[in-house]
Amino acid sequence: MPEIVAERYTGASIKRSEDPRILTGTGRYVDDIKLPGMLHAAFVRSPLAHARVLSVDVSAARALPGVVAAYTGADLEAMTVPGPDVLMALMGAPGPSPEFTLLATDKVRFVGDPVAMVVAADRYFAEDGCDLVEVEYDDLPPVANAAFALDPSSPPLFANLGDNIARPHSRSEFGDVPATFAQADRVMEFHIDVHRHQNVPMEGRGCVASYDSDLGVMTVYAATQSVHVSKIAVAMRLGMEHDQVRVLAGDIGGSFGLKIGASREELAAAAASRALGRPVKWVEDRGENLTASGQAREESFDVRAAVSNDGDLLGLDVKVVIDTGAYPGMGTMVPGIMQEMLPGPYKLAALGFESTAAITNKASYVAYRGPWASETFVRERVIDLMAKDLGIDPVELRLRNAAERTDPPASMITGRPLVGVTTRESLERVAQLVDIPAFRRRQAEGREQGRYLGIGVATFIEAAPGPRSPEGPSGPMGTESMRLRLEEDGMVVLFTGQMPHGQSHQTTLAQIAADEFGVPFEQVRVVVGDTAVVPFGLTGGSRSATMTGGVALHGARQLKVKVLDFASQLMEASAMDLQITDGNVWVRGDPASAIPVSEIAQQAASGQFGADVDANLEVQASFDGGEGGWSGGTHCAIVDVDIETGLVKVERYVAVEDCGALINPAVVEGQIRGGVAQGIGAVLLERSAYDQDGNYQSATFMDYLLPTASDIPRIEVDHLQTVPLDADVNFRGVGEGGMIVAPPTLVNAIEDALAPFGVRIREQHLPPARILELIDAANAT
Amino acid sequence: MVDITLTVNGVTRTGSVEARKTLADFLRDDLDLTGTHVGCEHGVCGACTVIVDDREVRSCLMLAVQAAGSQVTTIEGLAHDGGLGPLQQAMWDSHSFQCGFCTPGFVMQATAFLAAHPEADEQQIREALSGNICRCTGYQSIIDGVLLAAQRTRQG
Amino acid sequence: MKLPYLEYAAPADVTEALGLLGELQDEASVLAGGQSLIPLLALRLARPALLIDINGLRELSRLSLTDGWLAIGAMTREYVAEESLAVAESVPLLAAALPLIGHEAIRSRGTIGGSLAHADPAAELPAVALALDAEFVVRSRDGDRIIPAVEWFDGYLATSRRPDELLVEVRFPTARPGTGVAFLEVARRHGDFAIVGLAASLTLTGGQITDARLAFAGVSDIPVRAAEAENLLVGERPSRNLFEEAAVRATARLNPPADLHGSAEYRKKVAATLVRRGLQAAADNADERS
Repeated sequence: MPEIVAERYTGASIKRSEDPRILTGTGRYVDDIKLPGMLHAAFVRSPLAHARVLSVDVSAARALPGVVAAYTGADLEAMTVPGPDVLMALMGAPGPSPEFTLLATDKVRFVGDPVAMVVAADRYFAEDGCDLVEVEYDDLPPVANAAFALDPSSPPLFANLGDNIARPHSRSEFGDVPATFAQADRVMEFHIDVHRHQNVPMEGRGCVASYDSDLGVMTVYAATQSVHVSKIAVAMRLGMEHDQVRVLAGDIGGSFGLKIGASREELAAAAASRALGRPVKWVEDRGENLTASGQAREESFDVRAAVSNDGDLLGLDVKVVIDTGAYPGMGTMVPGIMQEMLPGPYKLAALGFESTAAITNKASYVAYRGPWASETFVRERVIDLMAKDLGIDPVELRLRNAAERTDPPASMITGRPLVGVTTRESLERVAQLVDIPAFRRRQAEGREQGRYLGIGVATFIEAAPGPRSPEGPSGPMGTESMRLRLEEDGMVVLFTGQMPHGQSHQTTLAQIAADEFGVPFEQVRVVVGDTAVVPFGLTGGSRSATMTGGVALHGARQLKVKVLDFASQLMEASAMDLQITDGNVWVRGDPASAIPVSEIAQQAASGQFGADVDANLEVQASFDGGEGGWSGGTHCAIVDVDIETGLVKVERYVAVEDCGALINPAVVEGQIRGGVAQGIGAVLLERSAYDQDGNYQSATFMDYLLPTASDIPRIEVDHLQTVPLDADVNFRGVGEGGMIVAPPTLVNAIEDALAPFGVRIREQHLPPARILELIDAANAT
Repeated sequence: MVDITLTVNGVTRTGSVEARKTLADFLRDDLDLTGTHVGCEHGVCGACTVIVDDREVRSCLMLAVQAAGSQVTTIEGLAHDGGLGPLQQAMWDSHSFQCGFCTPGFVMQATAFLAAHPEADEQQIREALSGNICRCTGYQSIIDGVLLAAQRTRQG
Repeated sequence: MKLPYLEYAAPADVTEALGLLGELQDEASVLAGGQSLIPLLALRLARPALLIDINGLRELSRLSLTDGWLAIGAMTREYVAEESLAVAESVPLLAAALPLIGHEAIRSRGTIGGSLAHADPAAELPAVALALDAEFVVRSRDGDRIIPAVEWFDGYLATSRRPDELLVEVRFPTARPGTGVAFLEVARRHGDFAIVGLAASLTLTGGQITDARLAFAGVSDIPVRAAEAENLLVGERPSRNLFEEAAVRATARLNPPADLHGSAEYRKKVAATLVRRGLQAAADNADERS
């Protein structure tokens, strides 16, 4: 098979430079690190949802051969500097600040809460030690759900808060909510539940912390979405200066929002390494990952929709309660984004939004791929429920309500301009690709034979990065930095704060820089994962395509100018007349003048130029997102529901997407398909289940079910021609959209399949038993 | 401790292990073959799949002592002349993977399956790989890689 | 998730294994394929004082066909049985169930005897053994005992094997001409334990059902035989109505457990569906095979 030869690398499915190492087992993940004298940590975790800790006795563990140390919560507090959860503090989380200790001290607050830490010669011995730790508990009533948490009689998890409210109730209104509802032909009301589910990267969390007591330097090998955020967390908790902490990361086995900063366990491992003067490894096992790493969603919505008889969605009034679990985190920040995004691409005239976040005895709420995604679920569900009640085709109804692209652009009622949004085009394209009338005929035939097929569509937009704010000078997502350098061997080296964990940045950023600078793709190296050499950054929020793609483009351009300026002296030609192609600098029109960029760099390094010549072929670039823009699209699922077993087969799945200019189509499609698979998993298989006493029920892969190759269909991806907004950078993020829109797409399809029974679905999780219950309930009414 | 001798990727290796140590941990910790990944340690995710005496097995569900005398092949043993093997090459060409953590298990499972079923179609490949979990890709690119490898093998 | 400390023995022959079992009784665990036991150890839900690894006992992996019985050595790997022509031809119900056990890599190590001795009520092989009235040959220092399937299953993950006994062989009666089979299950995903599974076998003679066998997986703490439905079927000709009625009879007295994957009511409903579908599939299979 011939190699892909591209005029430009950008826009082509260039094979990933990450793959040769991962395909041969020579990638380096955190658990692959082995340092001399390295010890292994394991944690004793609470078997109870809510209890006072009366005593923790680690003496038997300490006495076990192979065990080097065992620490209680009080020990760890004495070894570290108290303070809030660093990530929450950095992100400016609203709401009160609960006590935050690395291990439980006075209380345990969820099943899996770490209570003691054992450090031993290997992980087997560490777990043996954990078995010998004796903890005496005094049970407290579990706060197992948000409704009880908001009841003033519920026992507060945190004494310093006095109640179980992580984010106090608030209400905002946009547009004239009362008038909109008063004028509506109908007001529809729904209660919609989104269940708790979680990231589950194939590699859990983990680190190797190594303290050098001679130098007073802590080195942490981490699995993280940002080495710098991890560094700040370690430095703050250990009371060290930032320059005394270095965080490194190699390959990372997925994250999806889970691995931001350093977790309690990682900070405990770092503290232990400092105390013991030896490297300490902690790698989360699957039981810990499912039980204690964190969970997402579990939101319940009360929705009122103001609707006209001919199908206009005039306004929404939404109340959400979020179950943030035990240690408030991301869940307190999600309502703000939900509120802003709730109108979506539709012409809503009014929005009322109320939110409350409750603290419960469950694992903490963490960011998971599109953390605010439930706003799309609610909106797209409401549209389909509306369509059924009004007898209007759901695609028609969406087209009727989607804002048209106008100049100046329409704005969401919550503020942001819908510039360049291609919702209408994506709806039309889906209808074209799927041939809905033909499906309806097949559906009718199937029903006569007892076969229940259904079709569902849902549409979304994602601020990836979102449009440039009309008010401020800063771009849509702050700024992104990059250092770029031409090395003497001719390599263009990009130093980025992105911390890829599957996103293929080492390929995509190299494509952009190679094109812009004028070297072969293989002549660009992307350096990540070392706080000593990369600028601040974080991989998340679907921001890297625009922000880092953009800074790679502009940075390569800047570097090229610098190299050409220098070369112009060397080549005695005006920089204006020079160009770089295929790794050579040459005078336009004179191919014989070509000099490899490596030679230029060697000359620059030779030191033979005076102070008036800038021979440092390195630039610091930054980018503010340019004009930004929205990502979005429409997805369509066709399902086959077995009404006797409740099993749902996804027969066909079509994704029409607009994420701007594609850097690498295969990478983009991988992101879309992966997100869709997680969305399908959320609906059909995945649930972080607790019983009524707060006992966790999904602690193994036999209980927390991830979708497999037999569950996920081929996912057809179609890319829309995008509306360019920026002169140079029209790449937009695509990391979260699949996970955001697949759940409503699939649930809409399932409801359509069950339409003959009159089933109405107001929840996201639909395992086979639930499907039969829905049919029975509909039959009974 | 139990002394064991086995052949790993064609090389005779010896070790002294606790009986409770899994083959996965032995490969990773004692032999420094960290290409085999540990994803769940209870036999569901397939990341630790290796080939023992021509059959794919979960190396987290086999004790190292049980592999004594066996021929074990891991991801590190699949390279051809220092380069990628044909399945690995097809997977590279197909953009099969993202984060790479599940990769060794898929590659080993698919290697064993294709050896026994060179004519397999997509449905059979999906079933054969349904004991391996990937959280990143939605599987299509992996299936495409296996199909491409099978097709190239058939075409010689 | 590491295994607890354990003593380990790999006896060279059955006699040595029986000696160890006789000595330690239920302090010891027998390690066959390990596909269920090793996860239990990794979760530290099992902590035997001694692990007796019988993987070296070649004498326990023989297959032999005699006098209307297929005798399968307890250490026969599931993939070996799955690929065996003798199994496919003589015990088609077993052949139908084998590919549904876990995944390829699980069947590489998993054994027929191991699965039946572990006796997970949601597993495939226990339902097959019960449906076919298989016989379990257990051996101790005192000699052999033969235990009929109906007496073998003795509660959740429990059998009537005495602690000093080793399961050495399982005997399945070979299918009579005119027999059609089906193993159907509803599972959350391909390869998972069944929420409900059904082993079904119908023997047709001149268009009339002369033998009917139905056993469920996943509806109790042991596999469950549907004797009333079997009685109804024998002597009748296959029909939709007959199978409907059999489904009612087979499930009327079921009182299945509830778990994360399905309520009791759900399991009961699915069990009825599986009976209807399983009987039809078995009847179709009988036609195909004749």
